[in-house]
Amino acid sequence: MKFRKILVAGISVLLWFQMLVPTILRAEDAVDTIDIRKQVSGRISIVLDNSMAKGGRESEWAKSLDATIKGGLDFTGLFNLMAPPLNIRNPQDGAINFGAIGSVGSDIYVTGSVSKKRGDPSLEMFVYDVTGKQLLNKIYSGPEKQLRPIGLQFCADLVELLTGKKSVFGSKVVFVSNRTGAKEIFMCDFDGQNIEQFSSTRSISLTPAVSSDGRYLAWTDYTSGRPDLYIKNLATRTTVAVRKTGVCIDPGWVPGRDELATTLSIDGDQEIYLLRVDGSVSRRLTKSRGIDVSPTFSPDGSRMAFVSTREGRPQIFIQDMNSGVARRLTFNGTYNTQPAWAPSGDKILYSSLQKNGEINIFTINADGSGLMQLTSGTRDNEYPSWSPDGSMIVFTSTRQGRRKMFVMNADGTNQRALVQMDGEQQQPSWSIIR
Amino acid sequence: MIILAGCSSKSAVSTGDASGAGSGAGSGTGAGVVVEDGSGAGKGAGSGSGAGNTFAGPVLGDVFYDFDSSALSPEAQDQLKQNAVWFQRNSVPAVIVEGHCDERGTDEYNIALGERRAVAAKEYLVNLGVGNGRITAVSFGEERPFDPGHNEEAWAKNRRAHFLTK
Repeated sequence: MKFRKILVAGISVLLWFQMLVPTILRAEDAVDTIDIRKQVSGRISIVLDNSMAKGGRESEWAKSLDATIKGGLDFTGLFNLMAPPLNIRNPQDGAINFGAIGSVGSDIYVTGSVSKKRGDPSLEMFVYDVTGKQLLNKIYSGPEKQLRPIGLQFCADLVELLTGKKSVFGSKVVFVSNRTGAKEIFMCDFDGQNIEQFSSTRSISLTPAVSSDGRYLAWTDYTSGRPDLYIKNLATRTTVAVRKTGVCIDPGWVPGRDELATTLSIDGDQEIYLLRVDGSVSRRLTKSRGIDVSPTFSPDGSRMAFVSTREGRPQIFIQDMNSGVARRLTFNGTYNTQPAWAPSGDKILYSSLQKNGEINIFTINADGSGLMQLTSGTRDNEYPSWSPDGSMIVFTSTRQGRRKMFVMNADGTNQRALVQMDGEQQQPSWSIIR
Repeated sequence: MIILAGCSSKSAVSTGDASGAGSGAGSGTGAGVVVEDGSGAGKGAGSGSGAGNTFAGPVLGDVFYDFDSSALSPEAQDQLKQNAVWFQRNSVPAVIVEGHCDERGTDEYNIALGERRAVAAKEYLVNLGVGNGRITAVSFGEERPFDPGHNEEAWAKNRRAHFLTK
């Protein structure tokens, strides 16, 4: 109780009462503590301390790394980041006062130190629970220009440690922008940093999609005057063009395989076909009058969700890849498109053009239950795409006027803009690129 | 490419077309193509088409559609019948019919829908005797709106099939 008295002396009684709630909920075991807090607030509370450094260069690195780590952890929406309480260290010997961490309602204490090894930055990170148990101690190092990846690698390790899941760090968002006047394909980091222009066709490039292994990018563009499909091997930088009579649009990759599905109209109607990475047609997947478009696959590749007008208005259907049998998934609304199958396999995202003229994003379980609306009252919200770890969603919105990319947590909370960039953005696809 | 028609009051065809495919008949590099392709049958006899339009007969007018539909309304069919007359009187071997959509709905779906609109117009003309090989259908989805507005008036102009010569 000693630390609590010290703390109360420094802050108001009211605040202390607010802190009582998590204190009461804390269980004996550190793992239980995390579980309880997730249920209560949806977020894990972390006390994030500044990294220690000796020397001017090291201090500069530490400042940059701290900003990267704070920004990265904050971006995930998984954490409640807190500054260290004043009594975090024992003034005599510098020992960590773990009681102080618990008393501010935190579960985890993160601290680090930055040093110079052979001229390069080296970041040693420590993660403790409130009992003082060390959960992680790793050293991250690399050339100075890799400071951001160094910091983000720690963020990735911390997310995996605390949630047991992979993180968004290191992933990229591929998208279309008209910034140059034409529609070109761009890429940026998971958090909107490091925007790069990928295509320079001065035409209309659309619907970029990266294979699950990150080796191929497929997209449609109008360089030839009509919508053709292109498949690029990102390592060898070789590209094959798929030119057919009619459209070649809107590719979707089969996870774990060098195969993609796309809509062609070679047989007159817009149907979905399975293609190999060399651009050759493997087989036709749909056979129905009307439009079949926008294929997306379950993680095991056994089922495909897609948009079809076979029953009139566009609705989302799920087809078994072996039997070819399709069943309708969406019954709410008259214009449901843009399905995206979750990496976890259980849910499908889609957008719905509603009676009030808004387009909004929904999730539905693959069995048709659990319909949930994620956006509303913010004009058009479209083209949802899961982060590779399934924890977040990137989408476009016209809530601030022109169409721009936004991100949100998988449950629809924490919606915010992804990039600051001129022009409009569309068709984001969250990917791992090798 | 040359935009063929431009004067019908309801037509979205004009020299201001957002497709960037050309700035109307009359000047520019495409003008020579127009002259070359014009048939001998009554040059300029069309219904007051734009300056420099040397094609015969009624102009190749746009065809308009309802939201999320590629069905041909009676008005659309009337326009296509006029367009068929143009094909009879002009021997242009290659005409592109572009299918376009309004901005509502989703981009990818609208490319498929735009193709259905272009193909519906083409097939109607083929049924009227226009040679199948003379018309190529290309969809632009909602990528090339004629009217950049965000209201039904603009959308109605944007849901169209639009004819171009190469």
